[in-house]
Amino acid sequence: MSGNGQVYEVFARKKRADRFEHVGAVSAPNEQLARVYAWQTYDEAKWFEMTVAPRDAFAAVNRPQAPFTLGDPGGRAPADSR
Amino acid sequence: MTESGFRSAEDLPEGVSGHLANLILALADNKRLLGIRYSDWILGAPSVEAGIACSAMAQDEWGHARILYAMLRDFGHDPSALEHERASDEYHSSELLDRDVASWEEFLALNFLWDTALSVQFEMLVESRYEPIHYKVRKLLEEERFHFDHGQGWTSRLLSAEGGRVALAEAFGAAWNACLRGFGPDDDPLSGTLAAHGIVRRDAAGARARWLERVGPVAAETGLARDAGSEWVSTREPVWEDRWLARRRAVEGGPDEDSLARVRGDRNRELLMD
Repeated sequence: MSGNGQVYEVFARKKRADRFEHVGAVSAPNEQLARVYAWQTYDEAKWFEMTVAPRDAFAAVNRPQAPFTLGDPGGRAPADSR
Repeated sequence: MTESGFRSAEDLPEGVSGHLANLILALADNKRLLGIRYSDWILGAPSVEAGIACSAMAQDEWGHARILYAMLRDFGHDPSALEHERASDEYHSSELLDRDVASWEEFLALNFLWDTALSVQFEMLVESRYEPIHYKVRKLLEEERFHFDHGQGWTSRLLSAEGGRVALAEAFGAAWNACLRGFGPDDDPLSGTLAAHGIVRRDAAGARARWLERVGPVAAETGLARDAGSEWVSTREPVWEDRWLARRRAVEGGPDEDSLARVRGDRNRELLMD
């Protein structure tokens, strides 16, 4: 594990009726800091709910590459391009 | 509790208003200075994310300070004079904030120990009978939850390695006494009077106990606190001998020259409108 820990994917929704959208990613040494970093980095909206999960927790379904490593149509750079 | 609230400072009982203004000013000064300490690490933090967190926390602290200074208008003070025209020894902020900190561990002592000590003092105001402040406190504490998590998250990270543990224990040890003292002595007239009138929920000893409950489980890892069954206690008695000033809520002294210039906004003075 590097000094910055691991990558966490960040999901959030503005209203209870909304679906979660993938808003970005943060690198953090642990989940507690991942929550803080996510909340303070992706503060562009008054989120109703936000959640984070380690990138490692996601399994690829139809592509050989690991998820979240193929770029993001929203134009956000992945937090970690290792 | 059926006791009615106070809508403004002039409704407060005799002898209460001065103490409450003193407390609000001390909290405001601490937040203004702490905001500067957070801002010092925006570019030097261990990761980009930590730098963003420092930036967000600095903005939170400055926002809180601004609200608190403005509140002092109700007590007959001029908020602008308080913010821009005081000398160093007129600041009511902790000696922990008088100068910049040299290391990330010392920064974490401010972030985890002292910021939490300030939050505990706001917790004491959540149901204050002085209504203008209790309306403001909940949102402030919501933001502070993330400051606590930042401090605790980083502390856990450092405690997981021997080198980090030693450096952290040293930095926490150096800040510990100032934190214990920051609530005032057990017979502190300020918090005693405010507690007796329902302005704060608990007196100095009660607030200190609450702080130990919050930071104790982590501080125990550095030998500064222990679980005494029904409560968390400090393994060190507070030392008062060096000139603790009740009015300043800290020892004699004040922010150093550079900190004072920044806290007052000296460089921006010519841009200030009336």
